This record gives sequence, C-alpha cells and structure tokens, in this order.
Amino acid sequence: MMLQPLAAEIPSRILPVCIDAPVLGNQYVSDRYWMLRLDAPEIATGVRPGQFVLLTPSQTPGEGPSLPRPMAVYDVDRADGAIDILYGVVGSGTTQLTRFRPGDRMTAVGPLGRPFEPPSDATRLLVVGRGIGICSLTLLARERAERGHAVTVLLSGRHRGAIIGADFCDAVGVHARQLCDEDGSSDVESIRRLLVEQYDPAPPDFVATCGSKRLLALCRDLGRRWTCEVQVSVEAHMACGLGYCHGCAAGEVGRDEESPLVCATGPVFRVS
Amino acid sequence: MRATSSEVVDVDLSVELGPLRLSNPIMPASGCFGPELASLLPLERLGALVTKTVFTAARSGNAAHRLTDSGSGSALNSVGIPSPGAASFRSQVLPRYSAHGTPVIVSIGGLAVDDYFSIADELSMAQFAAYEVNVSCPNLERGGISIGADPDQVYRVTRGVVDRAAGRPVIVKLTPNVASVDETACAAEEAGAAALTVANTFVGLAVDLRRRRPVLGNGTGGLSGHGIKPLVLRLVWEASRAVDIPIVGCGGIATTGDVAEFLVAGATAVQIGTATFSRPTTMAQMLDELPTQLTDLGCRRVADLVGSLQA
Repeated sequence: MMLQPLAAEIPSRILPVCIDAPVLGNQYVSDRYWMLRLDAPEIATGVRPGQFVLLTPSQTPGEGPSLPRPMAVYDVDRADGAIDILYGVVGSGTTQLTRFRPGDRMTAVGPLGRPFEPPSDATRLLVVGRGIGICSLTLLARERAERGHAVTVLLSGRHRGAIIGADFCDAVGVHARQLCDEDGSSDVESIRRLLVEQYDPAPPDFVATCGSKRLLALCRDLGRRWTCEVQVSVEAHMACGLGYCHGCAAGEVGRDEESPLVCATGPVFRVS
Repeated sequence: MRATSSEVVDVDLSVELGPLRLSNPIMPASGCFGPELASLLPLERLGALVTKTVFTAARSGNAAHRLTDSGSGSALNSVGIPSPGAASFRSQVLPRYSAHGTPVIVSIGGLAVDDYFSIADELSMAQFAAYEVNVSCPNLERGGISIGADPDQVYRVTRGVVDRAAGRPVIVKLTPNVASVDETACAAEEAGAAALTVANTFVGLAVDLRRRRPVLGNGTGGLSGHGIKPLVLRLVWEASRAVDIPIVGCGGIATTGDVAEFLVAGATAVQIGTATFSRPTTMAQMLDELPTQLTDLGCRRVADLVGSLQA
C-alpha cells in the first residue's frame, strides 16, 4: 500500500493558533465515545474537512499526560465559532478529557494538517469509515452534501452501539449505511459486493476513508476498478502537530530520507 | 500572570554563556522546537533558538511508534534524529531559524568522532551564534551513547569542534546516562567548551503487555518531561560545582517556578522541551512571569539567583 503526499502547496491554508478554549459541552454519547464542544472561533473559521486539532488533557503544566491528543474536527458551527470533537476514551489522556466541564478551558492548537482534497470536478463521493475514524470524514460528507453532491457514507463498527455518525448523517441529509461485526454486515467481502453492485453502473469520482486497514485496502481496490481518486486519513501518536518533532513519521530503518509526517504532510494521503 | 510595572522594577533577564550574551535565559531544547512554531510563539522574544541536531548526511528517524506518554508529565521518544543533511540544512533550514533575529544555536551530531568534525567544517561559513554538540542522544545505534558516556571521546569531539568553530562558542550537551556527570563535564570544559547543556534524555523502556513487546519501534527511548526534573536538578547541581563554565539546564522544566529552581541549582540558562508539546506558548508565559518570579525571590538579575542553593 503506497500513501502519497497530496500536492505540495496547501490551498488557502490558515495558520494554526493556540487558544485556551472555553468548553461548551462534554457529554457521553455511546459505547466509549464522548462529544466535546469548544468555543473556538479562531479554529472554526478556517478548519477544513480532514483537519485536526491537538487537545491538551491537563491544564496544569507538568502534570498528567505530557503529549497532546490529536483529534479530528467532527463538525463545525462557523456562525457560532464552535467546533465539535467526538472522541473515544481509550487511555489516560482521553479519560482525563472526560473530566472537563462546561466553563472550563482546554488548550487547543489548530487547525492542523492537510484537508481532504477531492478532484475539483468530483460530485459523486463515497465515504467509508470505521470506529473513531469516522470522525475524520463527517465534515467532508456534510460540506459536500451541502453543495448538492451525491454522498454515500458507510459507517462500520464493532457492534450497533459502537457505530458513530449515523445521527449526524441523518441530520445533514446524507445517506448512511450502518455495518457492524455482530451481524456480519461489516465483512469486507460483503461490503465489496455491495459497493460493486451499487457503483459499477456509475462509479464515484472520489473515495475517502479512515479507521480501518482492511477497508483502506478495499477502497484502494475499488479506486483502481473505478479509476477514481482515493484518499485516506491516517492516525498517529503526535507531540508537536506542526512537523518539527518528527514523532509521528512512520520511519523505515535504512532509509536516507525521513518518511512523510502524518501531522504536517498528512494526515490525509493519496492512496495508490 | 503578566508582570506589571508596579510590581517589577528593572529586572535584568540577560545572561552570558561564555562569550554568548542572551537577552534572557529561556530557549528551546533541540528536537522539541522548529520555526513552524512562529505562528504560536513570538520567537524573537526567546533568549536563543536551538535547532534540531544536524548530521552531515541526510538520515531517517526510527521505525514507528516513536512516541508514548509516560505519565507524570513525561514522555518516552525514539524519534532517532532524522536530518536533512548539512547542505540542505544550510540552504533550506537555517534561514528559517535566522529570520527571527534571535541568536541561533546549531545542534550537531555524528555517528563517529570524525562525523562531528565533518559537520563543523561544512557549517563553518554559515551564519549562526554557537554550536551545541549533541554527544548524548540515546537513540542512535552507534555513536551517541558511547561518545557521550566516555570522557576521552567527549574531550576529542569537543576539542575538534572548538578548533573548527571559527570562534563561535561551543556548548556540549551531556548525557545523563553516566555514573558520574562530573567526569564528562570536566572533559568538555578542558577541551574548550564555553558551556554545558545538562542534560539529554534518560534511556527508558515502555512495555506493551499484550504484545510482550516494547511500545516504541526502536525498543528503548529517551525519557523527558516533568517526571525527570528532580534527576536533572541533581545533575545540574553536581555539574555546576565540577566546572567553572556556565550550565544550561534541560529536563522537565514546565513552569516558571521550575526555571527558578534550575537557576538556584546552578544553571545560567534553561531549555524547554516536552512542555512545549502540551502548551506551545509555554516559553512566552515563562518570559512574562520571570521578572515577577525574580522580584519575589529578592533578585534584580538572573545572575543573582544562579547557583544560590544553600546545601
């Protein structure tokens, strides 16, 4: 699987800011997922689908987790200047994030990374996400649907309660199909048959995916079948989010050159 | 809290590292900083800018994962010092540091003693204020750890870089992974170092219980962050008593109070690394607070606090 950096120049990028953002809400959603809403107009103004923010789990310097957590921007309210972060509680940092209450402030840096860049003439989008990876895709689905593009979303999860994004898709008028492990519907070969049947007559012109290596491989295969652009958002542990620390590169021993940085070259890459 | 003029009168933040005079003692730690921070942090306010370690040839970093949280404000990393190489550094990277008008300290590294001389030769015509010689990165398969732990090798590397530094001060960044930091500190001083950075990261290991494997792709990594602060304070205290040249304290500094503690323990300046990750504005906040901190401690100058530990 080859991941290629997107074009060298980032179109109309705004510089990231570091703010102590007031927490507007922080609530349990389902399974291990929580929804955080931050008052962050500086970030909400310029954030684009696929970009992320770094959230600092501890407001006391030198205490708690030392590394900020990279989080996709799930949704944005540009009028109110708010961003929504849907996060999974998996370790000490995300556990600490659940302790923030409305009125608290949380250090946030963003918007960071390269957004999805569908071809300029793309109007038929297929969006395939699994688990927490769906959070990198929701804003793309919403903004494209609002432009009148044909958007289909596949939401995969371990079980029904672990599928996120369905309510969001309903609310923004995007057709979403839910797939889960417990009834076998998330089986990759089943999804392949489903998509081939649905799209072979009129293939999509852009596929975006996040959250599963098996689904990424499927999207790559289908992209070749349909000759369409496939882009993936990649996850990694990060420290700086800006590209100077090189903590997020998937380095390979013996190479002369440094590998692409997930934070600054990505997190969105072209799949070939 | 920002200092106000009514609270703080004429506090002198300037410090001297040998012939290198800095407007204040706050600078980033190598590897934990880059010009990419310019939109988040006023780089012109810092005492100095310290580059990521440069090697003669381009090199990749280590295999993923390269980072893991260690709790207590600490992190373990095995980034492994990727470098664009000397030529690209001079033409592409160094100008981005120099653009801010702040003294630039170039960190250099090598996998063998002669590598340090090569990189110093290659950079001799470039414009920057000082060298920081990284003899102590624990991540390299060869070189770093053995050079930094051996006083004779530290002497040779330091001497050779001093001879090629075209008059620039040479700061040597020591490894903490030694039985006695005094010996390597004295070796660097005898070889002509203008100052010492104390210290690099401690070698550590994180275990993935389910996989029964190291969490980091390289196996071991360097421990940094607030959890190592007491260990480094002790090293700074010991090194400052062993040598007559200034010490730059580095390790676990997250607050202005931490800065003051390092000054008291014997550091003349400090470097901030891991704390910048969780809060990119950390160094600016320290500069805002330091005058008040010094005033509260009855000091008019940074120098009044340096090495004032009563023990």
